Amino acid sequence: MHVVVATDGSQQSLRAAKQLKSFADPAKITDISVVAVIRPLAAVAFADDLSSEERRRADLQTGGFRAAAESSVATVAAVFEGWGPKVHRRIRSGSPANEIIKAAKQLNAGLVVVASGGRGISDTVLVGSTAQRVQHYAPCPVLVVRPAPRVKKK
Amino acid sequence: MEEPNSLLGSEPPMAETSALPMTDEDDGGLRRSITGKQLFFYTLGDVLGSGIYVLIGLVAAAVGGAFWIAFAVGVTIAAITGTAYAELVTKYPQAAGAALYVNKAFGNKVLTFLVTVCFLSASFAAAGALADGFASYFATLWEGPPALLVTLLFIIALSVVNFIGITESVVINMVMAFVEIAGLVIVLIIAIWHIAEGNAEFGTLTEFNTGDTNWALAILAGVALSFFAMTGFENTANVAEETIDPHRSFPRSLIGGMVVAGLIYVLVSMAAALTVSTKTLVEADAALLEVVKTGILPIDTGFMTTLFSVIALIAITNTTLVAVVTQPRILYGMANEDVVPGVFAKIHPTRRSPWVGLVFSGLVVCALLVVGTFAPDVEGAPLIERLSLVTVLFLLFIYSLVIIACLKLRGHDEDERTFRANTPLLFIGLLGNAAILYWSIDDDPTSLIWCAGLVAVGVVLFLVEYFFGKRTPGVDRGDPEAAQRQGEI
Repeated sequence: MHVVVATDGSQQSLRAAKQLKSFADPAKITDISVVAVIRPLAAVAFADDLSSEERRRADLQTGGFRAAAESSVATVAAVFEGWGPKVHRRIRSGSPANEIIKAAKQLNAGLVVVASGGRGISDTVLVGSTAQRVQHYAPCPVLVVRPAPRVKKK
Repeated sequence: MEEPNSLLGSEPPMAETSALPMTDEDDGGLRRSITGKQLFFYTLGDVLGSGIYVLIGLVAAAVGGAFWIAFAVGVTIAAITGTAYAELVTKYPQAAGAALYVNKAFGNKVLTFLVTVCFLSASFAAAGALADGFASYFATLWEGPPALLVTLLFIIALSVVNFIGITESVVINMVMAFVEIAGLVIVLIIAIWHIAEGNAEFGTLTEFNTGDTNWALAILAGVALSFFAMTGFENTANVAEETIDPHRSFPRSLIGGMVVAGLIYVLVSMAAALTVSTKTLVEADAALLEVVKTGILPIDTGFMTTLFSVIALIAITNTTLVAVVTQPRILYGMANEDVVPGVFAKIHPTRRSPWVGLVFSGLVVCALLVVGTFAPDVEGAPLIERLSLVTVLFLLFIYSLVIIACLKLRGHDEDERTFRANTPLLFIGLLGNAAILYWSIDDDPTSLIWCAGLVAVGVVLFLVEYFFGKRTPGVDRGDPEAAQRQGEI
């Protein structure tokens, strides 16, 4: 089975990856693709909250948002290192939900792992979070990892 | 995060990336999403929305019936500046723009900071001017609310939209560009109809109505204002990183978009001069609407007026959105270089938007609008003229530096794929930018007070960071490439 693990550079997406690892059977997973989506027209096309601060700055200056996305993907991919399945890193560009769904279709994925937004007002009132759209349109089962009841601020 | 196709059904109708063969089977596969065609329409939409709907009356006032010449000159100088941008983007395809180029060329931290602050300020002033233009077209639909309220609500609404992220669809951008073109095509059709009926007086096109000023100076004044109509193209550098095959498609799409926009501008200003008396254009708030109101076309004028106002509102909204997206992005970059407080690098945990920068930018633009409305009119210049001149001053300064940077960086970081701008043209462009800059300051020194006020905002942010901020060890303040060296150690 091919599993797509999506990251938007948030801590929550890293938690989602760890969640998958905590219960899934590596013998049954052949491949894991860690996917990050850059949003070219957004104010910040990709924000990397996972790497160290120095690393983040360096990325932004040398390679821009693409490098930030690569760092995030690398951090999430590191979760699965030595676990068994072959780990692929992919960076796409466009609108996150669309690209995650497309990746799942193209890779013939058996599971998509996404982090869901917080519990804040913006996510309950404003429709159309990425996780919601992925659930609706994904060609396979979706694991939506919700934030812990008390959101820890770093 | 939202796309239009969520409204259309489950199957994404757009071919943003699916048109590409799936070549990234290996690890580290990189896919870019913006095609040359999309970039072309992004440029076109961004440029077209800004000026002509808003400023045509002011330019006509400065020059007279021959004001299309001002547009032609302004467009040419801007397009030449565009070639410098194209060359630099093919060398350094990061989403950074002018500040990066100036830093590469001069390596002077103060200058880099100044350019960044100027760019940010230009964006603030542009958003203010556009909001005012929005209000004047809005008033033609509904005269009820005062203009200031409309402008403030407009800026707040766009900030919310930006926070949610609805603006990110390339497809919406394309649709917006088509709507904008449609509005200007309506103006052209009216003029052609007018000419076909034999009512056009072509003498107007060579008429200068400049009072006692010299005609050349009058054109220069018009050029400075018309320049505002071309601004916005520099924002395309933001998406350079995500453009497919940037070395080929970026120069073509950027310059192509600017040339097409320029042609449309010249034709539209001729059309306006032929159909409406210059006096009417000068006096109207929503000048281009006067062309539609003439009732030359055998279609119900009321309907056409409403349609055209809506189109104008969409056009202005599109360009303002790009400005509103750019501001927090610049602040985000600056926060990462330790030149403004780190809070501007804060990203909303789920929406992934730089919300602090967004709120701050919205407040600055609103403050500009309030001050502009209530401050005593120094020379009776309307708010929109003031703000657009301030924008143009900042941009002319930046454009001049970018052209110099382009010339200075010749021979560095080049390979056979680098686009090379025409050198004599660059010198002409530099001269043009400098001449308009000099003239604008000479003509209206009070604009400098506004410029100073906006730069002061940036300086205050720097001081706050300098005295209260935490420095990242080893990272030199304000040096974009120090962080890079740090990363390599």
